[in-house]
Amino acid sequence: MKRSLRSFAIAALLAVPVLLVGAGGAWSADPIHIALSAPLTGNFAEYGQLFQKAIDLGVEQINAAGGVKGRPIVIDVGDSKADPKEAAALAQKFTSDSKIVAEIGDFSSTACLAAQPIYDRAGMVQLSPTASHPNFAPGSQWSFGIVGTQAGEGPFMARYAVQKLGKKRLAVLYINNDWGIVSKDLFIKAAKEMGADTVAVESYFETDKDFTAVLTKLRGQKPELLYIPSFYNEAALISKQREKLGWTDVTMMGPGSLYSPKLLEIGGDSVNGLYTSAAFFPKDPRPEVQKFVKGFEAKYKATPNTFAAVAYDSINLLAFVIGKVGTDRKAIRDEMAKVRDYPGVTGNITFTERRDVVKEYRQLVIKNGEFTLYDK
Amino acid sequence: MLLSQVVNGLTQGSLYALVAIGFVIIFGTMNLVTFAHGEVYMIGAFVGYFALSVYHLPWWVALLLGMAAAWILGVLIEKMAFRPLRAAGHMPPLLITIGLSIILKDLAVVVFGAENRPVPSVYETTIRVGGVSVSVLQLVILALAGALVLALQLLLKATKIGRAMRATAQDHEAAYAMGVNVNRVFNISFALASALGGAAGVMVGIYYNTVYPAMGGTAGLKGFAACIFGGLTSIPGAILGGLILGVVENLTVQFISSGYRDVVAFVVMVLVLVLRPQGLLGKKLRTV
Repeated sequence: MKRSLRSFAIAALLAVPVLLVGAGGAWSADPIHIALSAPLTGNFAEYGQLFQKAIDLGVEQINAAGGVKGRPIVIDVGDSKADPKEAAALAQKFTSDSKIVAEIGDFSSTACLAAQPIYDRAGMVQLSPTASHPNFAPGSQWSFGIVGTQAGEGPFMARYAVQKLGKKRLAVLYINNDWGIVSKDLFIKAAKEMGADTVAVESYFETDKDFTAVLTKLRGQKPELLYIPSFYNEAALISKQREKLGWTDVTMMGPGSLYSPKLLEIGGDSVNGLYTSAAFFPKDPRPEVQKFVKGFEAKYKATPNTFAAVAYDSINLLAFVIGKVGTDRKAIRDEMAKVRDYPGVTGNITFTERRDVVKEYRQLVIKNGEFTLYDK
Repeated sequence: MLLSQVVNGLTQGSLYALVAIGFVIIFGTMNLVTFAHGEVYMIGAFVGYFALSVYHLPWWVALLLGMAAAWILGVLIEKMAFRPLRAAGHMPPLLITIGLSIILKDLAVVVFGAENRPVPSVYETTIRVGGVSVSVLQLVILALAGALVLALQLLLKATKIGRAMRATAQDHEAAYAMGVNVNRVFNISFALASALGGAAGVMVGIYYNTVYPAMGGTAGLKGFAACIFGGLTSIPGAILGGLILGVVENLTVQFISSGYRDVVAFVVMVLVLVLRPQGLLGKKLRTV
């Protein structure tokens, strides 16, 4: 009995270092902490979880390749629940934690703008994968946006609608949040300058799923093209319900936020002939794109969309910058502002003096249930 | 145009009404408000999704499975959450339902994932009646909602358990004294209400072609509003409340703006309640 107890104790002692090594991985250096603020629950949970998946994949690849200067990256995740108040509270938490060197997030422009003053006061990089409100990045020296702004995409889509497709009577159905409003305004302004009329403008709220009433109303104005600055889930529902109402003599178009396999999955036949754009295209042969797409497909059994791609670019860009200048919060900001021609999966990333990027978009159209490049 | 909006509104309203009836049954018999009803509806919708999209069963089988799942969930919720607290007054069960609603929703996010799942359409053809386009599915939903309500009335008026439910609703202590198994009545009432919620969930999934874990939130709110609007304990009132809510919302979109649909719907509701605190068809006396 006594002997077995002693041998148990020795075995336990011997096991301790093994367990420690096991828990800490093979790393001898301290990890680098990066925070992620994203809506993991709530109305935008789907997008927040895409962020997390893409960033987990990015971190896995970075750490497998030896980490950043021999140190592994660790992500501290916070759930902002698609609520600006929560995003601000997370900003307080992250900035007061001295281990955290920079932050990725949030998803919506609204949440990013709410958290911005806190990152600004504390002096920490706030890198949003998706905020495309033109006022976001210029609002603070510490804020960066990498998805491109609606100041670029709105006029691009207007040119596509008016000059390429020759549509003169337009209607807009937009999501009623900061991003939706500015997307709508910039599209309508650009379309007007090109000589097109916007005959009807309607909005919906992020929890709305019934668009039959608003579509019936828009149809009464007989627009040739319906532009929908919204997300792919709602766009799919709008398209389906339009088809069910028997409204077939209208062309549908929306910005790059529609670009997702989910649009095809939920929208079915009704999204055939829908025009959109994308800065990220999974069939792009560039090696960084293929590394991302293959890795994502292997890990999650699904094709990544734009939302996953911009999140993946965010973590890789941060790792690249930290690899150059180390973990000082201010040094990261200064180096980030100097980034030129970084090869992201969503295209080249070059920060303007406003700390946002100018994207190159491709014109896409859905044909036979697939996104294809529009080449006319 | 006006008529199309009314048809759209009636379809949407009949779905609100099915959720609202669940609240009425539960409040009528148990004198209790549940905030987990929207989540029961969501679980029903997910069962319908699996039946339709994964196992490719006919839509009516999906509907029955969704109702059955919601029924079972209702039985469990009543047994585990309400029965032990029967003597505890109003507040504790109310708080428990709020907790349950959060648990069920977050559990659904963990188990099913947060993303929207596609549900295939049925009866997609639209027919035009005098310049109004109506989809066959809209007619099916209206007919089905009507049939479920008729079946419910039949159950309440013509069966023994229905009589027991009405007796319990009037005075559950007196009913108990007369030999009614009140526990069983409560359990069946709650399960019945849940099954109707599940039916609404499956039909909403088919109508809007999508299900997702957060779908119960708005549905629960609208159904509860329709139930109060109609008179809290009156089934015809809940139906009327649901239909009016749906039609007012759709007409608001047509004549004012889509941004005001909820504002106008709830302003109408508040005005009616100010003038008629018992709701449209509510009585001072509590009956199912």
